[in-house]
Amino acid sequence: MRQRSPRCVVSFHTTAGAMAAERLCRREGLEGRLISVPRSVTSDCGIAWSAPPELREVLERRLREAGIEAAGFHDLLL
Amino acid sequence: MKENAFVRRYGLMILAGAVVGAAALLLTAAGNPKNMGFCIACFERDIAGALGLHSAGKVQYIRPEIIGIVLGAMLSAFAFREFKARAGSCPATRFVLGLFVMIGALAFLGCPLRMVIRLGGGDLTAVAGLLGFLAGILAGVVFLKKGFSLGRAYPVKMGEGLALPAVMAGLLALLLLAPGLLKFSEEGPGSMRAFWLVSLAVGLAVGFLAQRSRLCMAGGLRDAFLLRDFTLLAGFLTIWITVTVGNLIAGNYNLSMLSQPVAHSQHLWSFLGMALAGWGSILLGGCPLRQLILAGEGNGDAAVTVLGMIAGAAIAHNFGLAGNPDSTADGVYQVGGIGAAGMIAVAAGFAVLLAVSLLHLPGKEEA
Repeated sequence: MRQRSPRCVVSFHTTAGAMAAERLCRREGLEGRLISVPRSVTSDCGIAWSAPPELREVLERRLREAGIEAAGFHDLLL
Repeated sequence: MKENAFVRRYGLMILAGAVVGAAALLLTAAGNPKNMGFCIACFERDIAGALGLHSAGKVQYIRPEIIGIVLGAMLSAFAFREFKARAGSCPATRFVLGLFVMIGALAFLGCPLRMVIRLGGGDLTAVAGLLGFLAGILAGVVFLKKGFSLGRAYPVKMGEGLALPAVMAGLLALLLLAPGLLKFSEEGPGSMRAFWLVSLAVGLAVGFLAQRSRLCMAGGLRDAFLLRDFTLLAGFLTIWITVTVGNLIAGNYNLSMLSQPVAHSQHLWSFLGMALAGWGSILLGGCPLRQLILAGEGNGDAAVTVLGMIAGAAIAHNFGLAGNPDSTADGVYQVGGIGAAGMIAVAAGFAVLLAVSLLHLPGKEEA
């Protein structure tokens, strides 16, 4: 059985925001993957970016620099 | 531990799917048309007829199920502090998309939810609709991957978020206090209805659970294709299984292509109608059921989409675009379906969806 582990989950206002974040992270070699936004984060059924928690600061900075608006950064056990 | 992980991930979704499936069976037993215990498109079409927005006499009734879903979602959102009044994400475009989603659904004779309910009744003509829905979802996913977006919604005043729930409360008041102002079918699907309180109560329960679980027919397939995440899809499959089992127990399961209730055998146009509905649902961020839930949570854009769907239903019946069910006359089986006007409307719908999809891709500097 897969163990739950801490993750930094980035939620977005639009699906396009999540897609843009994925492209950015792939381009820059930042680990992570797209996930269905967890129910504990929002009642919206959108898409989020899940990354190792240690990348949170890098993600906050790089998304801001790239003009990709995140709705929130959440430290979760997934 | 393993059970806990499964329950944590799928429990609420399976519960919601089971309740929706059971609700469809209950409503059919209580008087709603066969294989149409629940149908968002059909019921919004009935509401359009009851208000005199179209004059198809067989499909006119203020369906309390729709009212219940919106109000149930609103109550849930308030109870769990998730009611957020917001709007501003291309409302006019959403109105048009909602309109064509409805035209596609009525070409097939059902929304994605009814498609699953038809499959659960053994209606093999719905398989063409399912395949079309899958194709439409895939088309939408292609554009999502390219960066399609209608833009974000912004916080607005509470009154904007309460607009559709207030409209629904008004419709309920009309139904109960001033029925003389409304039109009621005396024959056909619109005349087949459960007692209003049963319909309302079931709608409230479904709205509440769908808000908690985020149940969405289109979202389930989108997540499966895009993310390999099957959580939302579990709800879709649970409805199918629940309705199938319920119909088998009740002796209402009829595995056949022929003589299915309110269904036609024009398979190509069932496929294309649901492809249109599926693609449109992905662009809108949710199926017709999900739009009702979002509107109940305070999303003004979803409220506009619902109004677009009601307008689409009126147009579909005023201009003869909706499908006609198969029938038997003088012992001869007659295949129903859509006529030339409906085919043109579905084709126009694809052109509109393609234009919307292309016009809302990011520019080169944004990509």
